[in-house]
Parts: sequence; C-alpha cells; structure tokens
Amino acid sequence: MTSPAVPPPRESLRHKLLKGGAEPDPRFTLANERTFLAWIRTSLALMAGGIAVEAFAAQVFAPDARKALAVLLLMLGLLLSASAGVRWLNVERAMRHGHPLPVPIMVPLLSLGGVLATAVLLAFIALHPA
Amino acid sequence: MNLLSRPHADVGLQPERTWLAWRRTLLSLVGASLLFLRWVPHHGAFAFVLVGLALAAALGIGTRQQRRYHQGIAAINSGVPAAPVLEVFALALACAVLGLLGLYGVLVL
Repeated sequence: MTSPAVPPPRESLRHKLLKGGAEPDPRFTLANERTFLAWIRTSLALMAGGIAVEAFAAQVFAPDARKALAVLLLMLGLLLSASAGVRWLNVERAMRHGHPLPVPIMVPLLSLGGVLATAVLLAFIALHPA
Repeated sequence: MNLLSRPHADVGLQPERTWLAWRRTLLSLVGASLLFLRWVPHHGAFAFVLVGLALAAALGIGTRQQRRYHQGIAAINSGVPAAPVLEVFALALACAVLGLLGLYGVLVL
C-alpha cells in the first residue's frame, strides 16, 4: 500500500478518528460492525415501541402512564443509538492498539430501562384494574 | 455474480453475515417507518418527518450495502480492514435524531 503525501479528506478523518495503531484482523472489524448494527436495531425496536405506545394505546392507558412509558422507551432508544456509535469507535480503537475491549455500559443500562418500563406497566395494571 | 466462484476464503462467511446484518437493519428501518405512520392521525405532517428520515436511512443503506459487501471481501482477501466510519456515524446520528423527534412529538406536540 502506498500512502499519498496529502490523503483525501475522508481518509484523514478516518485516521484521526481511529487514532493510529495497527490494522486489526478484518474479521474483527466486520464483527464490530455487526454488533453495532444489532444495537441499532435494538434502539429502533425501543423507539418504535415508544411511538406505538403513544399511537396505539390511547384508550388503554391513562395519559400520564402512557406518556411516561413512551418517554422512557424513546430515551432508552436515543441513548442506545448514540452510545452504539461511540462504542463501535472505542472497540475499533481498542483493537487497533491491542487494548482490552471497553466494558459495555449499555448492557446494565438496557436491563435497568427494561425493568423500569415493566415496573411502570405493572404499577399501572395494579392501580387500574380492568 | 458468479455463484460458483469463491469470492473469499473466510469459512466464517463474515462478509455475507455482515451483509445480512445491514439488510436486517434496513428492514427494521422500513418497519419502524411504517409504525411511525400511525402518528399521522395525531400529529399530521410532523409524522412524515419521522417516516421520511427512517426511509432515507433505509435507502442510504440500500444504495451502499453492495459496495460495503465488496469492501468486506476485499478486506478479508487483503488482510486490511475497511472500518466504515462514515456509515456507522451517519446511521447512529439518523437513529438518535429519530429518538429526539419522537421525544419532541410526545412531550411538546
């Protein structure tokens, strides 16, 4: 591979973001890409769930419970999609430098969010019997 | 594409699995955009912003993913990975904006 004296802008941005190091095994980069996409789909599912609660369940829920659930799901989805991108970059950097992979803080956050959303639902069902 | 020729030697079929992961994501975006249509009766034109953004992201994946597949094959063959910096950040940004617009729709509109 020959490196041009002045790299094209996209390449230099890439190098700046990836912060040097050695090229990792291409299979690891592809695996990192798939993991990122899996997080993105999880985030899309959560956000679609939040929108669905707001759109489909207008007659099922009291407005406050519905809004709380929708906001919780949407915030969780927003957080996941943003941190999926950050994590993809951090994993790519760690692999380039042979560092251990960063701990996924999204995992406990996602469980906590799931627990919270379920708790809101349970509280609503317990307080408002059909 | 000649199905009988072997484009790369990876027995783990990483480029193919990555292609499928992008395609699943594309389909998730289309599915989400259909769900966002349910907001049209409540929020009118605003709902179409969400639908349009999700479909634009799906279209962006659709137009790029064949190229990405061949980049993956080239990476396996050459041993030099091609990290999709632009694609990853564009998609993460699009999804974050979807979330923000959704919150705006729930809390403000």
